[in-house]
Amino acid sequence: MADRGTRRLAAVDATAQALGLFAGQKAAEAATLVPKLISAEFDAKADLISLEALADWCVRFSPAVATDAPDVLFLDITGGERLWGGEGELMRELAARLASNAIPARLAVADTPGAAWALARFDACICPPDHQASKLAPLPVAALRLNEADAAQLARLGLRTIAQVIGLPRGPLTRRFGPGVLLRLDQALGRLPQALNYRRPSSPWMQRLAFAEPVSTPDDLARVAADLCGLLCDQLQTATRGARRVVLVYHRLDGANPVVEVGLALAGCDPAALLRLLLPKLEEVDPGFGVESATIWAQEVEALKPSQAELDSTQAQAAASIGPLVDRLANRLGSDRVWRAVPVQSHAPERAVARREPLSLGQAAGWDAARPRPLRLFVRPEPIEAPAALLDAAPARFRWRGLWRRVARAEGPERIGQEWWWLAPDQTAVGAVRDYYRVEDEDGARFWLFRAGLYGGEPAPRWWLHGLF
Amino acid sequence: MPGASRLQTLRRQISALQSDGRATHGVARFGDERIDEHLPGGGLSRGAWHALAGNGLEAETGAATGAFAALLARPLSAHGVAVWVLRRDDLYAPGLSALGLPAQRLIFVRADDDASVLAALEDASRSPGVSVAIGETDAIGLVAGRRLQLACETTGATVLLIERRPYGGKPSMRDEASPSTRWRVSSAPSQACEYGLGAPRWRLELERCRGGRPGNWTVEMKEEDHGPYPLRVVAELADHCMAAPDRFAAAG
Repeated sequence: MADRGTRRLAAVDATAQALGLFAGQKAAEAATLVPKLISAEFDAKADLISLEALADWCVRFSPAVATDAPDVLFLDITGGERLWGGEGELMRELAARLASNAIPARLAVADTPGAAWALARFDACICPPDHQASKLAPLPVAALRLNEADAAQLARLGLRTIAQVIGLPRGPLTRRFGPGVLLRLDQALGRLPQALNYRRPSSPWMQRLAFAEPVSTPDDLARVAADLCGLLCDQLQTATRGARRVVLVYHRLDGANPVVEVGLALAGCDPAALLRLLLPKLEEVDPGFGVESATIWAQEVEALKPSQAELDSTQAQAAASIGPLVDRLANRLGSDRVWRAVPVQSHAPERAVARREPLSLGQAAGWDAARPRPLRLFVRPEPIEAPAALLDAAPARFRWRGLWRRVARAEGPERIGQEWWWLAPDQTAVGAVRDYYRVEDEDGARFWLFRAGLYGGEPAPRWWLHGLF
Repeated sequence: MPGASRLQTLRRQISALQSDGRATHGVARFGDERIDEHLPGGGLSRGAWHALAGNGLEAETGAATGAFAALLARPLSAHGVAVWVLRRDDLYAPGLSALGLPAQRLIFVRADDDASVLAALEDASRSPGVSVAIGETDAIGLVAGRRLQLACETTGATVLLIERRPYGGKPSMRDEASPSTRWRVSSAPSQACEYGLGAPRWRLELERCRGGRPGNWTVEMKEEDHGPYPLRVVAELADHCMAAPDRFAAAG
């Protein structure tokens, strides 16, 4: 890579280090020291992409994977280590898989991300719970992930190990260095939380199945899904919980992870219902050369409300019986394609309706029954010609889609003004009103027309058709 | 009278034979003899599917057919949930509640094409909590109609199928699926009233009815009391002799 004109080494591997090269050395110097040096251009973007790919692959160990550029991966294995038989086993398996793919790595397990980072850099081990302070104490200050200025300052003051920093009083430390040093220290020791950008939230409701031989036929994939659903629902049922989202991931031999996700309207733990929702989506899963393991985990887990037979529970019963229907339709057509309409306080008719989950409990208020509203409302009002309309009266005839219709009876106007509280002051205008008329033509068809704007206003008022009764 | 009761027993035996032992689910009456006597069982049969069609522009906009479906669905959805499957997103919930179908018991579903609409209707009519399902589709084939019939009979849900081409275009070739009743709905002039428009009126034509006979009525929506019978028959024959309402009544 280039740094102010001189080319420097970005990273060196183990053999180069043994020969005396280090990162940051001038490339010319390195070339003279080691004539047969093989070097490649440093491409930060490609590095990032491959780090993301590695994070995707690591999903088979835990759903919560976070990357920390340029070369750090955090995995949250809370609750998931039992699937491998303990943290040590998990670490060994991960190290073995990375080694077999020729990816050099150092691993450490700890309670907090900060402590894990420090231990991985300097002292790869498993830190027993709540023992971060004693494990971190002998490490150098660089293990705290400080920025360069603070690290240099600490070195100048003679603070070389973390034990020395822990022993200092906090007030003067903050005054001298600002909040950064103490923040990192507290995060490493677990006194303050640290938020990481995980791909998916970690979840203890997780099950995993690994296969001796890779699986690729659709029947086998379906059977795997059935088994995993059964295991997950058993786990949920023993804790009397239900899940509202279930994610099933197949881990292929070549590292890709096709994902199948299912959502439920009511939290449930019925394996047959889950399987019925998953099976149609399995057809899009491409097993590639074969699937070596599969993981399922549940998100949005809630306590199951025990169903109680009440005397007048028609609403609850209806919700319980149509829950599966709503799930099937939402998962097949899309969750935004199934809804219930609720009223919204708004002047404009097109905004008076909002969409909600179909099974959310009902609202009391309805729409204003005194104002007539059409059954069909066009998304965009259609322009009509209404010549010779008198001042406040509905037009005597109008032309829609090329046909002249004579108005037999009319009702109105209903004036709907702007919602001025949403608009900037220069966008509001006194004349920006709509006068709605409900008209019936000779054949009895009813239309909902409006005139946008007042007579004598700046742009001449135009007539539109907004809906049909 | 003994003759009438024997006739009724015979009718019941014949309908039991016709349905091959499948349970019948009762009827929804219109509340007026002039319509009810045309329909088998004295009302619109539940546990079956019915087709509603319109004339002219109604085939695209589906306004009168939609209003009739909403009025029919009001008594049918008293004990259960109503599902309306749309292809085009222009059904306005305040308009439905003005026709008496409250939004609390109505679920909207939007599908992309006819096959999805029919699949969703079949799914809904098989679910135990759904009492009426309304769908808007262009054409329904023979096989799909039969499946819908079987799904309705299993659970007792009623399906109202509105024939609508939501984006215009030519009507597609349709196989003659056979619903229990086939209606044609068009709008009719309403009676003049002092304050604005009176109750809306429609012309109903029962074109085909399995086990009944066709008929022609002009009906009006009952505005008050929203009782069990949403419609009131105004006249029976198509060329009625109602007093012609005042035309060109100016708006107030």
